[in-house]
Amino acid sequence: MDINVRKRADVELIQLRGQLRLGEAVDGLRQVIEESLGNGDARLVLNLAEVPMIDSSGIGLLVRFLASTKQRGGSLKLVQPSKFAIQTLRLVGVLNLFEIFDNDDAAIASFA
Amino acid sequence: MSPNPRHNGKGTNFSDLLEFHVPADSKAIGNVTDRIIEALEGLGIAEEKRLEIQLAVQEALANAVVHGCKNDPTKEIHCRVQADPGPGFSPDRLADPKTAERVQADHGRGIYLIRELMDEVSFQGGGNQITMRKY
Repeated sequence: MDINVRKRADVELIQLRGQLRLGEAVDGLRQVIEESLGNGDARLVLNLAEVPMIDSSGIGLLVRFLASTKQRGGSLKLVQPSKFAIQTLRLVGVLNLFEIFDNDDAAIASFA
Repeated sequence: MSPNPRHNGKGTNFSDLLEFHVPADSKAIGNVTDRIIEALEGLGIAEEKRLEIQLAVQEALANAVVHGCKNDPTKEIHCRVQADPGPGFSPDRLADPKTAERVQADHGRGIYLIRELMDEVSFQGGGNQITMRKY
């Protein structure tokens, strides 16, 4: 999985490409988000436009860091999850925990 | 990963089986599911169904690595894909991960997802084996 991190308007914008699943992808994203939290950045936007599938490990990671960011006064917001990712999140009952946006700008602006 | 040398997984004759022996390492799972998806794509199976099968297989292998083998890469997982696997039985339903107590947990959704995504799921060998069917 490719993970690209940028900072815009005090928001960490994390762009993913590939399957978010147990192994290198989940480990890599965990490391990136832990670094962000360690640096005091708790306002995170995760662009999932190029993530065709999220497995239960990936879902667990998202749920855990949603809680972590909220505890620090921030949040973890999702951008453009695929139809199948939305279906999966809905299946396990976590879809409505997340704020979901059509594009990065809208997600970043929502933190203002 | 050591796939069965008789089948490369890229042909369209899916009555032949795909068979993999992989170390119980989370990093090895993706290679297996990617190969299975290539085979399904070769059969012309629709993307939505391919993703459902891929996710179900991913969850089954992840459970084998994490819970079955305790992440010990010296252990080996056997994955076999057939056009017409043998009969099984329906296990009792597991706890619903959507309940208020469980929805924010960071684990416990894998088997639930498998059962939701596949048409038939059965366990054999005291839980060491899982058989999944998608029509």
